[in-house]
Amino acid sequence: MSKRQPYNFADNAPDAPHYWTSVEDLEGQLTQSPEYEARVKAAVDQEFGPGDADGPTDDVSRRNFLGIMGASIGLATLEGCRRPEENILPYARMPAQVNPGIPNHYTTVFVDRGDALGLLVESHEGRPTKVEGNPDHPSTRMGATHGAASLRAQASVLDLYDPDRMRQPMMGTERKTWSEFDTALEEMLAPHRANGGEGLRFLTQPSVSPSFLRMREQIKQRFPQAKFHTYESSPLDNIRKGIELAFGTMGNVAYELATSKVTLSLDADFLATEPGNLRSTRGWAASRKMTGATDRDMSRLYVVESTTTVTGGAADHRLRLASRDVHAYLSALAAKLAQLGLALPGLSSALTESATPAGVPAHWIDAVAADLLRARGESAVIAGVRQPAAVHALAHAINHALGNVGHTVQIFPVTDALESESLASIVSLCNDIASVRTLIILGGNPAYDAPAALDFTSKLRGIANSLHATLHHDETSAASKWCVPVAHYLETWGDARALDGTLTIQQPLVEPLYASRSEIELFAQMLAAGPRAGYDIVRATFIDAHPWTVASETKWRRSLTTGVVPDSTATQVATATVRAAEIGAALQALRARPAQALSAQRFEVVFTVDAKLVDGRNANNAWLQELPDPITKISWDNAAMMSPKAARELSITSGDKIEITLDGRKLTVVAFVLPGQADYSIALALGWGRTMAGRVGTNQGFDVNVLRSADAFFMAEGATVRKTGERYALSQSQEYHRMVDRPLAVETTLAKYRETPNFPDYRTPTPRTLPLWRDVDYSHGYKWGLIVDLTSCTGCSACIVACQAENNIPCVGKDQVARGREMLWLRIDRYFVSPRVSAEGHPSDEDTVLVENEPLMAVQPVACVQCEEAPCENVCPVNATVHSPEGLNDMAYNRCIGTRYCSNNCPYKVRRFNYLNFHNDSVYQPLDPDVPETVRMQHNPNVTVRFRGVMEKCTYCVQRIQEGKIKAKNEYRKVRDGEIQTACQQTCPAGAITFGDLNDPQAAVAHLVRTDRRYRLLAELGTKPRTTYLAKIRNPNSEMHG
Amino acid sequence: MSSANAPIKEIGELPLAAEQYDFHRITEDVARITENPAPRGWWVLFLTALSLLGGLGLTLAYLFWKGIGAWGNNQPISWAWDITNFVWWVGIGHAGTLISAVLFLFRQKWRTSINRAAEAMTIFAVICALMFPGIHVGRVWLMYYPFPLPNSMGIWPNFKSPLLWDVFAVSTYFTVSLLFWFVGLIPDLATLRDRSKTKLRRMVYGAFALGWRGSNRHWQHYERAYLILAAISTPLVLSVHSVVSFDFATSVEPGWHTTIFPPYFVAGAIFSGFAMVLTLMLVVRVVFKLHGLITLKHIELMNKVILTTGTIVGYAYAMEFFIAWYSGNDYERYVFFVNRATGPYAWAYWTMILCNVISPQLFWKKSWRRSIPLTFVVSIFVNIGMWFERFVIIVTSLHRDFLPSSWGYFHPTPIDVMTYLGSFGLFFTLFCLFIRWIPVIAIAEVKGVLPAADPHHHEEHSHDDSHHEPAHGEASAEA
Repeated sequence: MSKRQPYNFADNAPDAPHYWTSVEDLEGQLTQSPEYEARVKAAVDQEFGPGDADGPTDDVSRRNFLGIMGASIGLATLEGCRRPEENILPYARMPAQVNPGIPNHYTTVFVDRGDALGLLVESHEGRPTKVEGNPDHPSTRMGATHGAASLRAQASVLDLYDPDRMRQPMMGTERKTWSEFDTALEEMLAPHRANGGEGLRFLTQPSVSPSFLRMREQIKQRFPQAKFHTYESSPLDNIRKGIELAFGTMGNVAYELATSKVTLSLDADFLATEPGNLRSTRGWAASRKMTGATDRDMSRLYVVESTTTVTGGAADHRLRLASRDVHAYLSALAAKLAQLGLALPGLSSALTESATPAGVPAHWIDAVAADLLRARGESAVIAGVRQPAAVHALAHAINHALGNVGHTVQIFPVTDALESESLASIVSLCNDIASVRTLIILGGNPAYDAPAALDFTSKLRGIANSLHATLHHDETSAASKWCVPVAHYLETWGDARALDGTLTIQQPLVEPLYASRSEIELFAQMLAAGPRAGYDIVRATFIDAHPWTVASETKWRRSLTTGVVPDSTATQVATATVRAAEIGAALQALRARPAQALSAQRFEVVFTVDAKLVDGRNANNAWLQELPDPITKISWDNAAMMSPKAARELSITSGDKIEITLDGRKLTVVAFVLPGQADYSIALALGWGRTMAGRVGTNQGFDVNVLRSADAFFMAEGATVRKTGERYALSQSQEYHRMVDRPLAVETTLAKYRETPNFPDYRTPTPRTLPLWRDVDYSHGYKWGLIVDLTSCTGCSACIVACQAENNIPCVGKDQVARGREMLWLRIDRYFVSPRVSAEGHPSDEDTVLVENEPLMAVQPVACVQCEEAPCENVCPVNATVHSPEGLNDMAYNRCIGTRYCSNNCPYKVRRFNYLNFHNDSVYQPLDPDVPETVRMQHNPNVTVRFRGVMEKCTYCVQRIQEGKIKAKNEYRKVRDGEIQTACQQTCPAGAITFGDLNDPQAAVAHLVRTDRRYRLLAELGTKPRTTYLAKIRNPNSEMHG
Repeated sequence: MSSANAPIKEIGELPLAAEQYDFHRITEDVARITENPAPRGWWVLFLTALSLLGGLGLTLAYLFWKGIGAWGNNQPISWAWDITNFVWWVGIGHAGTLISAVLFLFRQKWRTSINRAAEAMTIFAVICALMFPGIHVGRVWLMYYPFPLPNSMGIWPNFKSPLLWDVFAVSTYFTVSLLFWFVGLIPDLATLRDRSKTKLRRMVYGAFALGWRGSNRHWQHYERAYLILAAISTPLVLSVHSVVSFDFATSVEPGWHTTIFPPYFVAGAIFSGFAMVLTLMLVVRVVFKLHGLITLKHIELMNKVILTTGTIVGYAYAMEFFIAWYSGNDYERYVFFVNRATGPYAWAYWTMILCNVISPQLFWKKSWRRSIPLTFVVSIFVNIGMWFERFVIIVTSLHRDFLPSSWGYFHPTPIDVMTYLGSFGLFFTLFCLFIRWIPVIAIAEVKGVLPAADPHHHEEHSHDDSHHEPAHGEASAEA
């Protein structure tokens, strides 16, 4: 492939000599016909995408980039051309200088759903390639040297290199320079500077950045008449308002579940999509760690929810309940708790009238209440973000009465107390639209994700002056007069507070790839006073908080190197009293709504936050698009989730297109029959069906915002469903969902585990036949092994993206996923498990009735298990896959001719074949015949990029093993336990994956290998896998039946 | 043995060629095919085949350019039509050697009128078969890696891999079959040389005839060489498909991991080979009017072989089920009892049963055995059925193995179809060229079984006419 030069039209300077071939040509050149210009524009768009630079200043070709980087490294200075000009400091435990070939790690911060995750970003010669959790940050700390990062944080590094990012300011569809924009912005603001901001509106997203909020305050002072709106399509308002309702002050809630013995989730997917999910997962997993059958008790999780979530799948007991009925359930539970002696002063009158909603078995009230009461101070009731504030308030009242607040349930002050209600805020903006003269939208994409009933897009078009600052040229940009590119978080200075108030400085890893500014820099520009550069703004915020002293400079440096501003963690909000009267009133209001029964003619519709795309912001991220949904295993699409019963009544099957009508608004979407979905409740994931996301995300899935209105924001009732008769092809990475009674993802209950600790071995006996050849002796040197604890694993899929980022795994696109050619080395097998109950409804060993509708989930991460007796190795005719002395099953890519015999003979089916040249025939087609140069910049230089025709698979991150071994060898020692972490292990927020040297008796992995419930997958084949599993233990409550 | 050249009594009193044939007529009838202008039927067949071959060329060019993803193969079905076609063609390539070598050693004289074409078919089928392992690899430009070539890296192929055994087994088989075929051709090529009217023909046939003059000394050497090659080929008939079956039998996949595979594959190969010989010979017989040389007797005998091998194959299918049940292994039981019989590919399985087990059973009835239309239909059925047998073994075993999470389904692409059709193009192009330029019937050998070749012909002939001798206790036709 040849390197194509950009068309350089800017060089046609007016004084350059004219070349012409004929009179017509000369005239043509002089007049520049409009068709000619259109052609040129089309060609430029084709080459660069919208908003690209015309000139060489924005040329980011890999070679130029690396050339410049190389030069700057050569000068041994931190002030290279593409390096931030201010001093950023590398992580304290890493070498301070840049060594080619040795990556540096810098701390920064990623904001996700109101939480801030401290990150350590790996940078290869100035290219950020991989994100890890910062072990010093309370959101991501897993151990002394080990930090986890969530699914979306892992994927965020790819957004930096997104080829569809906006590259230049644009006015309408016209490309402009920044200086033209500066002039235009001044013109736009000039009247407002005179009138104090009359008619000037700002629309931002909720922010946890002190610098952003400080700048916003300054703008407010500068333009006192201006109004500020915030909007997010999946806001956390209910959580904040619920806390306000309960305790009188707004707050964020962080769950520290490590000490929780009983956790009740109310429509809250706290293990995957709720704010603080990483922290919650860490705590929840810790509360369930069992080192052996004689270990302490494990915690118990009850989940009441309308749609199957990661949390519901991991539950010990799960109840399907329409989202609208959750408040009634909670009221009934609270009444029971009060009856059993829990002090809920002032609430009893509000609770007495509550009736248990239909379909809730009595034991879900009695037994759960009793269980919660047994765990006073060691339990948590968690309400989900789509539940109204009253439910949150009641949950907190119960938490308060149980003594959980301050321990398992920690309430911290919000960063932005003035943050308005998202929905009310955008509604008021839409109502006032006539008086808006200038609208400045910083971030977000309201034209796409505002409820369709508001018709925000056409209102935005009608505004005289509008400006959208954005990473991508999206739906909102297209409707705005002006749009300007903002910098990615890895390119710009900033700061963010975590749920618990911990402040982190956001350090840029790289100078912006395209001329872009951060939101705070745009604020500064509008202020036209004070520092303009992001660094100076953040510094100023920092100094405001910590008056300038020498100590402050030390503190600044420490904040950068550790990734945490010292002593910034907030103290918990005082929660002495619960405002019972207000909660009671709010509950009455909820109950006052007329409640008609749901039926096949009257559906509930619930809008869920997508675990991958959130609200659509990640739509152009190919990793997230391709990642199989943790529950449905659908990639590249969303779907309307329906329960088997409801679907049967309307004779709908998965893949049927249905039309959902809600208050006259219609949505056509593909249906997916999901076991565990509440009957007559439809779950619709937000964030899909973007029309202007970029070449990856445009037109993937269905835009469900068209069904939303101010009244039907998170959930609504009264929807009707009609089958259209069309079919729609969904791509699923896993199409078969039963375990057909095979001992694969093995699980049992805690009680049975205590009886028979080595239960997994019963059904998978290790063969007793003698080996055909002498066993290899692995007792010397390293013997790598990996253990997955299925008790902790939730299936959140962060490990898959981490693996993809680490190992240069290409995306293959929807069509190829449908053909079964996804390349992900690590997959999470998800099986639905039906509890076996007797005819009377008791849990039973005899499988008399299988309850199709009430499944739990068994999840099992499977990558290459590195068999000691590997079936793949024997059959390769060319010795392309062979064993290392340390027991790794190695792939020699350049020896592989691609017979695929190894894959056939792999009982675990973990091998992945490059059927096409997926790095070239990529998801970025048709605009780019190749993977864009920027996307290649993400590649890990230590891992080969595989060509088509080659087999590949998990290597236990062999590049990390080698790196660790080389380091240890240079220091004349053996590799220490925990020094080498595989990418999946490192990012796992549940700590479910342990890797290490099985020959080291002190290693964690060596301890786990001796755990009683450890088993080998398909042990009976005699493959002797190095990856083994700890069987899943559930902790059901024996009172939960009858 | 009363006379090696006597007509075989068990198949009736009449000799193996129609009464009207004498030495001259045989030479004329066979040689004129290569000498006269080709009939229109040949051109139709040849041009069709050539177009398919051209299609194959384009298909392969696209396949090599694009990668194996041009086919429908996926995870977990890494092998699909590619290896199905390979095994199918190798199987077809079994009849030739069996007819030439094994039946030769057993002195089955009836083989003479079909052995030449059958051997040619073998060679062409093996060429088609060999194509598939060559093109099915992901990086065709490295196809020399499996050969034990000395190299500076000191890397050898993996001798533990059955795929490597395949390389050796099939290429050995190809070499020996080719030699065997060519040695048998020498006297006939000399006949053509002697009849040549143009210099070019004389030179080309002359070169390949290796100076054959038909002397007694030549004949003695020739017959000895032929016998030795037949002896070498005979074990190959058993070994090739046994080795091919090791590709599957030595793996861990349920449905593949089966010790019955070697004999089962060999029986199936003979079964499909005979079916293909029948299909072809019935056409050749009509197009070139060779009814007198390829008689109903031949067809009936071939049908007996098909009936026998078809029944063996049916037994093997039943035995797979029995062992799956008897082993008590859940994975095995699932593969056979649930998945093959009732799973998503049940249609393929029952097609296979219908074609391979049920349709040959018609041949228990003598009149049906001797029915040309029925024979043709059944031979096509068996060809289809044997393709499905390989498809069932490969695809239905792979598509659902141990972990249900990795189960999948295979959808062929147009490139898959084109590759398969293209291999027919290759086969029939070669076969048409063979018919046109090489004696399609072994002239010398057929002459050898004419009554006239028997020095005692006249005595026995009169004797036979008046008395029906009891049958000799020789091996039956399908031995």
